[in-house]
Amino acid sequence: MKKSSSYPVLLLFILLIQACWETSHEQLFDSSLLPKRTAEEVEGVVEDFILAENNQTIEIGEGFFDLKTQLILDSKENITIKGAGMTKTVLSFRNLKTGGEGMKIVGKNITVEDLTIEDAPGDGIKAQHTDGLTLRKVHVTWTHGNKSKNGTYALYPVQCKNVMIDECIAAHSRDAGIYVGQSENIIVKNSLAYGNVAGIEIENCDNAEVFGNTARNNSGGILVFNLPGLPKSDGKGTKIYNNRIIENNHKNFATPMGEGPNGNTVTMIPPGSGVVLLAAKEVEVYDNEILRNKTVGVAVASYQITGFPTDAPNWSPYTSDIYIHDNAYDRSKGMPDLTHELGQLISLYNAHGKAKTQDIVYDGIFDEGRGKDIEGNPMNICISEPGIKDLLFTRFDLSQGEDDIQSYPDVAPFTQCNVSVETDVTEIASR
Amino acid sequence: MKGKIKFYPALFGAIFLLAFSACKKESNEESMISFDPQKDSEEADGNFPYRWLSTYGFFEGDLKNLSPIEGLIPYEPASSLFTDYAHKSRFVWIPEGEKAKISGDELDLPEGSVLVKNFYYPEDFSKPTGERRIIETRLMIHQANGWEAFPYIWNDSQTDAILKVVGGETKVTYRDEKGKDQVINYLIPNKNQCKTCHNKNEKLDPLGVEVKHLNSEKKIKGESVNQLAYWANVGKLEGFLGENEHPKIVDYSNESLPLAERAKAYLDINCAHCHREEGPASTSGLFLGFDQTDPLKLGINKTPVAAGNGAGSFQFDIVPGKADESILIHRMKSTEVGVAMPEIGRTTIHKEGVELIRTWINSMDSSPN
Repeated sequence: MKKSSSYPVLLLFILLIQACWETSHEQLFDSSLLPKRTAEEVEGVVEDFILAENNQTIEIGEGFFDLKTQLILDSKENITIKGAGMTKTVLSFRNLKTGGEGMKIVGKNITVEDLTIEDAPGDGIKAQHTDGLTLRKVHVTWTHGNKSKNGTYALYPVQCKNVMIDECIAAHSRDAGIYVGQSENIIVKNSLAYGNVAGIEIENCDNAEVFGNTARNNSGGILVFNLPGLPKSDGKGTKIYNNRIIENNHKNFATPMGEGPNGNTVTMIPPGSGVVLLAAKEVEVYDNEILRNKTVGVAVASYQITGFPTDAPNWSPYTSDIYIHDNAYDRSKGMPDLTHELGQLISLYNAHGKAKTQDIVYDGIFDEGRGKDIEGNPMNICISEPGIKDLLFTRFDLSQGEDDIQSYPDVAPFTQCNVSVETDVTEIASR
Repeated sequence: MKGKIKFYPALFGAIFLLAFSACKKESNEESMISFDPQKDSEEADGNFPYRWLSTYGFFEGDLKNLSPIEGLIPYEPASSLFTDYAHKSRFVWIPEGEKAKISGDELDLPEGSVLVKNFYYPEDFSKPTGERRIIETRLMIHQANGWEAFPYIWNDSQTDAILKVVGGETKVTYRDEKGKDQVINYLIPNKNQCKTCHNKNEKLDPLGVEVKHLNSEKKIKGESVNQLAYWANVGKLEGFLGENEHPKIVDYSNESLPLAERAKAYLDINCAHCHREEGPASTSGLFLGFDQTDPLKLGINKTPVAAGNGAGSFQFDIVPGKADESILIHRMKSTEVGVAMPEIGRTTIHKEGVELIRTWINSMDSSPN
């Protein structure tokens, strides 16, 4: 009697620890100490964006700019938007009452650099239909106490070509900090993403390289997704290397506390996920430090795992042609997530014992058109880790439904191959 | 043990206070000051845009009466975009000697054409032609390099309106049809925000000035006429083959028409300017044009992509038979920036619109397949 009544309390306690304590409000600096610019000066910046001419540099001076309307650069070419430095120029959109993002960019050869964007109700910077986009030393953050009110993406290039994201900082997005969607030819490098639900996410993109970044203290570190039903239907070709993907154990705050996942896929990411590949095609993950992510280092999953409909044109729900090699792992954080279904799956059903952090998991869902037997590795998932003997690998078998989940520690079927992932970003490397 | 338990309410209280102070909004009184810019003289030299609305000479007599000069044609789309219950009076100017042209389903206006859209609130909505306050006039001018939009904000004395590219904010009061006093924080978009809606393949593009919208009746000079037929009659349109030869869209507010048609007409004019393949929301894969028949593109059992907060606690854009579990309804009935759709132009809830779409979704067959 006594025992049963203390159980809920204990569970609540664990959940509270998991849900509340691992929340970051870290800020790079205190923007309230900057001199506040006058309403006229703020209006001047809005006007500069509207009246911009091709081949122009828009300089934004030091100080805190309290914007009440969006900054939109519309269909211009060869424009540089330049602040006085990440810690000197702050564009705050806290008082924005309408509009989907703080700064919106459409054009050709656009550079944004040396500034901070705070508290945009939707996205921080959205760039769409832009060929040639450089975001350099741009910092986007949210400073509210209640993180479930934060905006969706910090840096958000979508339907763009030739994208360079360099030395940027993205913090506290309730979806992805650095999110590149439906784009092609992409570099994300030397940037920092922390306190977001997803640190860096490449979604429905072709030809992307993600390297030299630090993704720490997000719920998920680096994600490569393909989602159904989009104009850019299935992306392929991503390399993720030389990144530090550490301690991504932040609470998943994409939905408010007490609410389960909604239709946004990111709401399902269990805290403690290093790298997640979902319906991803041709991805190489190598030479990364994937450390102290409490649930899983690298998760290879198909879209079926979301439980959402998988019928969409020109798109496959399966993850295929993946090469994971030469990464460093550290499971010392312990205790995988229990707040999310995928966390529970890993925690309770992995092949090595309950509540053991896994280095690599594969959901084992495969396309029968490519092979009848998972042992034959039909989806071409290739793992070549030098220390594989000491790593915890789990391959699930979910084919018998929730009531009969099987899992296997044998990595051998997946170690006999490699994948040559082709990317070419030389054209944008000089941006 | 008891002492420890007592500690919790205090902690929760503190958290609550913290959360509350974090959410508290600063007031924005500074942006509500009276608006009466000094009028200066300006010549109509043909170099658009002019600083003052009056300089264009579109209206005769008192500007605030909005009495069109000869040749400025009033128009009204069959279904209209909701803009915080603002009333709109719209006019089109087609240069002398020029004509608009119908090719296929497209209506092309010649260079030099101007669309004039006035946004106003009657003091009393039960007397729509009575006293009113005009808030803004948006001009869309078809220049050599395409359309361009210019927002003019009316002064408090309603004698003129001045070009203000950065937009603004003003408090509007009116009495609604039911006799209830309403206050709205009306937001005038900045010039580049116009393209949030008026966007076709990243080019500024008129919205209501389409064949399907103008192939409808309107009272012009006291007589009810088909608008396209009228344009053709006054020599301002070529390619018009008679009203039945061109596409039409219904008026969503006409309750005698079929529900699904009304609902799709509503989504077309309120959402499809973005939510179409040529629009900025093409990223979402949610396409809400009148002719859309693909269930996935219409949002039926479709998961969101970048909805963030907008998804609420829901999984799909439309759940057949379950309007209140559909993201579409969730976003239509929100006024929270980041959640509310459309993203701009609406700070209040369009109750009638929500009701229409709710009824439509609830009428859908909810049985699987």
